[in-house]
Amino acid sequence: MIPPIVLHGLIYGGVAAIALLTLTAWGIWFERKFAGRMQSRLGPTMVGWAGLLQPLADVLKLLQKEDLVPAQADRTLYLLSPPLTVFFTLATVAVIPFGVDVAVANLPIGVPWILAFSGLMVFPVWTAGWASANKYALLGAMRAVAQGISYEIPMLLTALVPVIFAGSMNVNEIVRWQAEHHWIALWPPGPGLFAFVIFFLSCLAEANRIPFDIPEAESELVAGVTTEYSGMRFGLFYLAEYLHTLVASAVASALFFGGWNGIFGLPDGIHWMLAKTLTLFFLITWIRWSLLRFRADQLMRICWTYLVPASLALVMISALWVHYAPQLGPMWGG
Amino acid sequence: MPTPEEFRALLEDDFGVSEWSEKQPPLIEAVDHHRLAEVLKERGYTLYVFVVASHRPGVEGAEDALTAAGYIELATGLRSPTENSQLAIWRVRVGLDEQLATLVDLFAGADWQEREQFDLVGVRFAGHPDPRRLMLPEDWEGHPLRRDYAINTPHPPWR
Amino acid sequence: MSASSAARPSSAAPASAARLGVDPHRDLSDYDPEADLMVLNMGPQHPSTHGVFRLKLHLDGETIVRAVPYVGYLHRGVEKLLEELTFVQATPIVDKNDYVSPMTNEQAINMAFEALLGIEVPRRARYMRTLFAEMQRIASHLLWLSTFGIDMGGALGGGTTLFMHCFREREWILDLFELVTGARFHYNTHTIGGNRHDIPAGWAKQVHTTLDLIASRIDEYLELSTTNSIFVARTRGVGILPKELALELGITGPILRASGVDHDLRRDAPFHAYDEIEVKVQTEPDGDCLSRALVRVREMKESIRLSKLLVDGIPEGPICGARPIKNPTQFKAKEGQAYVALETPRGELGTYVIGGGKNKAASPYRLKIRPPSLHALSALPYLLPGHSISDTVVILGSLDPIMGEADR
Repeated sequence: MIPPIVLHGLIYGGVAAIALLTLTAWGIWFERKFAGRMQSRLGPTMVGWAGLLQPLADVLKLLQKEDLVPAQADRTLYLLSPPLTVFFTLATVAVIPFGVDVAVANLPIGVPWILAFSGLMVFPVWTAGWASANKYALLGAMRAVAQGISYEIPMLLTALVPVIFAGSMNVNEIVRWQAEHHWIALWPPGPGLFAFVIFFLSCLAEANRIPFDIPEAESELVAGVTTEYSGMRFGLFYLAEYLHTLVASAVASALFFGGWNGIFGLPDGIHWMLAKTLTLFFLITWIRWSLLRFRADQLMRICWTYLVPASLALVMISALWVHYAPQLGPMWGG
Repeated sequence: MPTPEEFRALLEDDFGVSEWSEKQPPLIEAVDHHRLAEVLKERGYTLYVFVVASHRPGVEGAEDALTAAGYIELATGLRSPTENSQLAIWRVRVGLDEQLATLVDLFAGADWQEREQFDLVGVRFAGHPDPRRLMLPEDWEGHPLRRDYAINTPHPPWR
Repeated sequence: MSASSAARPSSAAPASAARLGVDPHRDLSDYDPEADLMVLNMGPQHPSTHGVFRLKLHLDGETIVRAVPYVGYLHRGVEKLLEELTFVQATPIVDKNDYVSPMTNEQAINMAFEALLGIEVPRRARYMRTLFAEMQRIASHLLWLSTFGIDMGGALGGGTTLFMHCFREREWILDLFELVTGARFHYNTHTIGGNRHDIPAGWAKQVHTTLDLIASRIDEYLELSTTNSIFVARTRGVGILPKELALELGITGPILRASGVDHDLRRDAPFHAYDEIEVKVQTEPDGDCLSRALVRVREMKESIRLSKLLVDGIPEGPICGARPIKNPTQFKAKEGQAYVALETPRGELGTYVIGGGKNKAASPYRLKIRPPSLHALSALPYLLPGHSISDTVVILGSLDPIMGEADR
């Protein structure tokens, strides 16, 4: 007999994973279509209506391709890295509340869980770069590690701001607190919104999106860590990148924009979470197709000279606010 | 070919050039090649423009020893990058076995240009810091722009 | 006559290295053994080497300590080929050298042949050639801006957006060329003594419409690129090419002007119709990648102005000064040498031609094309040390090399 908690995890986890992977596929379609429109071309049009089946065709094509392993590569690590990236990204999904109290695991340590698995992403990327026995991959991996570890800090600190306000590390509780009080990005003026901006930038860096896509940097490092990968193993990296973007959008909307909480008193539900996530995803896409990329050292300078001090200050301000605001009266109190 | 007044005066006074042709740049002694470039650089011809070598095969029964044995004619061009830009071109003749002084110590651009002429025509430059082929693979045999190199000469495929 | 190495100092390399600050042939055997240098082969297959170009980079971490460029992967032996062909047959071949601005290639070789053969070009043809050259400059610089965007923004990002937009505008100019010559790219419209195709009726009006549209778009691209803070952060102070070094290396065109040398053959040694119009030469003092970008973008605007002026000023008259071509050996030059240079989008494209070749003197004895791209590439060993790999592609992109022309 399977214990009910395992059954619960399997069913909810499976549904969430499949739903998210499907969403990612259409996210890729949307991005390609959007990029096409932005560049005065059409984007995918041939497979299915308006090219809607293009992601499926891409996956089928990738599955047919030869799975190459370079002769000099460290075979185990090389083959293990791509599935691990997807695994770590999917693991963060577990604690995200999609609907009212609907999460795969309503963990009391939700926020650390997300940050921990997001931080673990560095390992498969590093092993992929190391195991490829390719100089471009190695350079890409070194950049990825440097960038991942650096941007982990402002991300962690700014994720503390909602935790401080809501007084809980459970993501669902944070959303519930926002539903009962106010969205953290909007009130109190300042810390919430700035924390969101820094969190968002760090997510861009963590997900290797332009203008922070230094580890890939295909004009410099050919394809960074994915240089030697072919077929579906490359596809998994690609998938993990989009999944990461989508998950980061979901986490940001849960932590800062009230997740499943409806606006103007409209009923709460999963549709709000979806709408907010996709809006942020759209924003990331828009940024990606508009901006150029920074240089590795400039990226580090932005992180350590601006984002880290700013996020430290935001944590302090939030703590002071939570401590003193209730004394100013009910209007100010959280 | 138009020749700037001062360039003409310089060649006549210091380099013993007496023959002038409208159709060809002036010809100077090969030993003066480096010195002329140096003087011209001092006089404002600071832009290194080109060097072109052409192979003249030996002519049997010619009076001149160089013509009889065959030689390489090398034309060099320098420009003054000013509002009224002037171009100074001169020629030298080098025997097939002889070396010509390099201009790399005066013009860094001569590095690649002289390498290219060595590669394609086979003129050798004395004191060149990096005397390798530029265009063709390092194991290429012969110099394709010589007259005796037929256009259909077989060669091994690129490695 | 004898040649010897007596009249020069014995060791050239150390002298030039001390003079220029960077030694391109630096010996790394005395480099800090703890540094664990890595050699990275960038190219010949690499997304941003603008063709098949190879750079051997000696890296200390990600910092370049020595860069060794290798060219010749696209060497087709054009100079040898042209010795086999007659003057008439040679002119279409050079279209393929600088495949980004074929118009100016055609002009260069035809001008050299005209100088060698002593053929006058009628005024109308001179105007048309100048107009085509200026329009080609806009197209070429647009292509440069687009690929420069890709170098910095990646093939999957903002760079591609810039790329696609610039390509759209460039296509309009190619459409205009197609109306005249029937070809999108390899025109073969210049012939010895003038032009082959006259401009069709109503073409001038289309030129005005298109150029007005492009002029308004260029300001938009300025916002996407040169006034964009990321663009400026990536290019300012990167790859500084000092004036003296640029001159010594024989670098011409926008790169030289971005290093603060006020030199442009269109104004300083006018050819075609340039002696009848005034060219405003664009310069920048700093010599970094940003200056090179700014000079090129301003040159685009200047070219739009000049093109409009030229298209209105085309005089009536014949378009070819030589007899119509009846057979390939029509033009013959038994002797003589000529060097003709003109300002292409990349700088001074010279053609040195010696008469008296094969086919009873109907071919050049020797023909040398002076490629501005090759001279620009020779600056890389001086520019790259001290920069990172990210800067490499930016510096390479800012030099705007076309390998077809550099390797020939």
